[in-house]
Order: sequence, then C-alpha cells, then structure tokens
Amino acid sequence: MTTYARVAQAAPYGRALPFFGVLVFAILFIQACIVVQARPQDLVTGVHGMIDILSRAWPPKVSKLPDMLWPALETIDIAVFGTVVGVVLAVPLAVLSARNTTPARPLYVLARAAVAFARAVPDLVWALIFVTAVGLGPFPGGLAISIHSVGMLGRLFAEVIEDMDMGPVEALTMTGASRAAVFSHAVVPTVLPNLLGIALYRLDENIRSSLVLGFVGAGGIGFELLSAMNLFDYRTVSLLLILVFAIVMLAERLSAALRSRIG
Amino acid sequence: MTSNPIQATNVSLRYPTGRLALDRASLSVAAGELVVILGANGSGKSTMLRCIAGILPLTSGQVHVAGQEISGLTGRGLADARLALGMVFQHAYLVRRRSVLANVQTGTLGRHRTIATSLGFLPAGERDHAIGCLDAVGLSEFAHQRAGTLSGGQAQRVSIARALAQRPRALLADEPVASLDPEAAEDVMRLLRRVSHEDGLAVLCVLHQPDLARRYADRIVGLRQGRMTFDETANKVPSRSVAALYEGLAA
Repeated sequence: MTTYARVAQAAPYGRALPFFGVLVFAILFIQACIVVQARPQDLVTGVHGMIDILSRAWPPKVSKLPDMLWPALETIDIAVFGTVVGVVLAVPLAVLSARNTTPARPLYVLARAAVAFARAVPDLVWALIFVTAVGLGPFPGGLAISIHSVGMLGRLFAEVIEDMDMGPVEALTMTGASRAAVFSHAVVPTVLPNLLGIALYRLDENIRSSLVLGFVGAGGIGFELLSAMNLFDYRTVSLLLILVFAIVMLAERLSAALRSRIG
Repeated sequence: MTSNPIQATNVSLRYPTGRLALDRASLSVAAGELVVILGANGSGKSTMLRCIAGILPLTSGQVHVAGQEISGLTGRGLADARLALGMVFQHAYLVRRRSVLANVQTGTLGRHRTIATSLGFLPAGERDHAIGCLDAVGLSEFAHQRAGTLSGGQAQRVSIARALAQRPRALLADEPVASLDPEAAEDVMRLLRRVSHEDGLAVLCVLHQPDLARRYADRIVGLRQGRMTFDETANKVPSRSVAALYEGLAA
C-alpha cells in the first residue's frame, strides 16, 4: 500500500469534515439572514429615496467649510488627547500585566482585569457615561477614547513585552545592575519601537472613533453631522462627509508613513 | 589562604523533581587560567555555571567568587557579589537597536546604581573605558553601529567586551561558540584565552567541542551525569576519558 493510501485511510473524517463545515456555515448564514430580516427588494424600492437624498446633497455647501474647521480640529484633538492619556496609563498597566515583568501575582491579576474591563466596554458607551458625568462637549469624548485606548493598548503592549527577547534582561541582571536599570536599559529599548508603532496605529483608529463619538454629544464633527442630519441639511452633510474622508485618509497615510520609519 | 577567583566546593543540586543534577562537584579556577568543562547534554555543565553565578540555589556545598561566598545571597547582596563575575552566554544577548558602544557601556551599570542610570541614561564617564573594552576585542571601528547589524561572531565578541566593561575578576562562558561558524568560534576562543592569560581573569567555559577545549584550555574538567570524572591539564587528558563522557548516552 502506498504511503498516501495509508494516510488517507488513517483519516476517517477526511472527506466528511469539509462538507459538514460548509453545511454548518450555510445554516449559520441563513439564520442570520432571517434574524436581520434581510429583504433585498427593499434595496430596489429604496433606490428612489437614495437618489433623492443624493440630489439634495449636491453640491456640498462649501460656504460652511470655515465654520467646520473648528469641529474638525476638535475631532482630531479628542483622538490626540485620548491616545496620549491612553498610552501614559497603558504602559504601567502593561508592565504589571505581562508575565515576564510583573512584580507580583495579585498586581498581575488586578492589572489584567482593569485592562480587560476598559476594553470590554465600547468607547461609545464610555462616551455616554462621561457625557452624563461631565456634560456635553469634547472633554467627555477625550475621556472615553482614553479609557477605551487603555483597554486596547494595555493588552497589545503586554503582548509585546511578553514576546520580547529576554536575553538582554538576563545579561544585564548578571552584570549586577539594579532592577530599575535592567528595565530601562534592556526592556525599554527592546520594546519601544513596537509600542510606538502600536500607539500610532491607535491614533489613527481613535480619529475614526472620535468622529462617531460626536453622535452622543461628545463634540467634534460627529456632533455637526448629527445636527445637519436632524435639520435635513444634506448639503452640509455631504461637505462633512468629504471632510471626514479627508481627515481619515490623511491620518491613515500619516500613521502608516511614520510607522514604516520606525524599525 | 588566598582563594582563587572561582572556587566551588562539593556543589550539589537536586531539582524539585528529585533529579540530582550535580553531585558534590568541586572545581577552582585561578587568575590567569582558562578552564573548560566538557560533558554531554544533561551532564550538568550549564547547571554548574548557573550555580556559580548564583542563578540556581545550591542544595549543598559552597561557591566563592573573588573570595566572597555567593551561595545563599539574594537581591542587593547577590547583585554586589556578581560585580566580580562577568558572564557570556550562547547568544550575545545585545540590545539590537542600540549602538555597539552603548551595549558595552551597559556592562558598567552595576557599578553606577544612580537615579540617572535607573532612568535609562548610560553611566557618565564610562565611555572611554567602554571604548577601551571594545578595542580589546578588536571592534572599536563598529562602536557607533547598531548592535543588530553585527555578525554572530562579532556580536559575541561585543558581549565579551560588555562583560569586560564590568571589570570582573572571573568570567563564565556558557557554550559561547555553540551558534557560531568554525572561524568565528576560533576568534572567540582566542579572545577568551587572551582575556585569561593577559588580563589575568579566571575564565570558566562550557564547551561541546573537545578539540577546541584541547587547543585553548589550560585545564579540562569532565562532567558526566552530575559527577566530575576528571580534572586535568589540557594536554594530559586521555582521549578515552573524553570519549567516556559521551558513551552510552543516546543523544
């Protein structure tokens, strides 16, 4: 018997498994279509409405642009504020919640839990909470982004620290250097470029989140977008969407360019 | 009594699993002497080095480094005792993104436990010393290059320079040539011999290559299953003693 035949014989689920896999996913998708009440015909009947809105949104109301520059800056700055505060809080939490750098088991558990909680609650919900607590405006938006960033960054930073090469740590410990010196001379320079890259990627994500946060009253372009929608001012809406597109593209390009330079 | 820089007496180590990794092993290395430990995988060679370096706690026995007992020390006391003991590993363990010179300078951190060095600043005033150490391993022209750009052999020599920057009296080398090509391995062994003979350090080196051991060591120590089987001047070790280290052990 050839090796191939023996291997094929030894795998009793060989042919049945892919078939059942596809079947399971088909059933999953069908039930999803039923639950979301997917009706493709609505898309066809909705075309008129779409065309109507698009015609009323054209041309974009460029005269409003100067008024929108401040909200645009607000949106970007909410993301900048949230990312910086997020990084500052996430770094110590990551050090505590990485297995190879944590000083004590209880601190590890606490830090892990804090980071997981900050991540589990969506930034939109954090924004609703902070709007209620500190009132309308960009500040609650910044706070929401900060907390959510702590959750995302804390976990990614901890992963980077756990994956790092521990060789330099061992080597410097053997020279008789203090724990703090080993940390700042072996751990920090090894992980810093990775952390910086992750933080820049987070900034780019945060700019997108910050646009949406305005919908719940946390300032910036999102808030203007919501107001224009409520007033059926579609020409302002289209202007804002173009602005959003420009900001998002710019942030993405800038963050990618900076990240490619770290290395 | 003047004690040698490395002095291990009746060192035993039993792992929590019950396995006896070292069984009353004794050895001493004088200043200016290069001693090589030979043995098969699992014979306890690296364990012996780790016991001397105070990384593993001894079950019984004593280790003295530069006249100071190192066994039983922890924390600050252990860090102080390690100042006299440089260590070189199988891999260079350099911080790849820092310059070669900065890596060498970090070898002096133990002697400069200040707030500035804790915050990541290199010890001021050790630059010239570090350049000197780099010069001693023949790599001063690479001082400002990133450590990550070096070849394996060069990186290993820089790691020896870092150990020298520490101003140790003894040097431990744990399979320092295991991941190097033959030519780089000769360079590293030549350097270790020079460090012992010319700078007067006591060098204890674990190797897997009996021929390198014969050519470079002053003395060779054989370890088999945690026990020392011989301790002889390099050119007097009988071939069958070396062969016996590896016999009957399936790799």
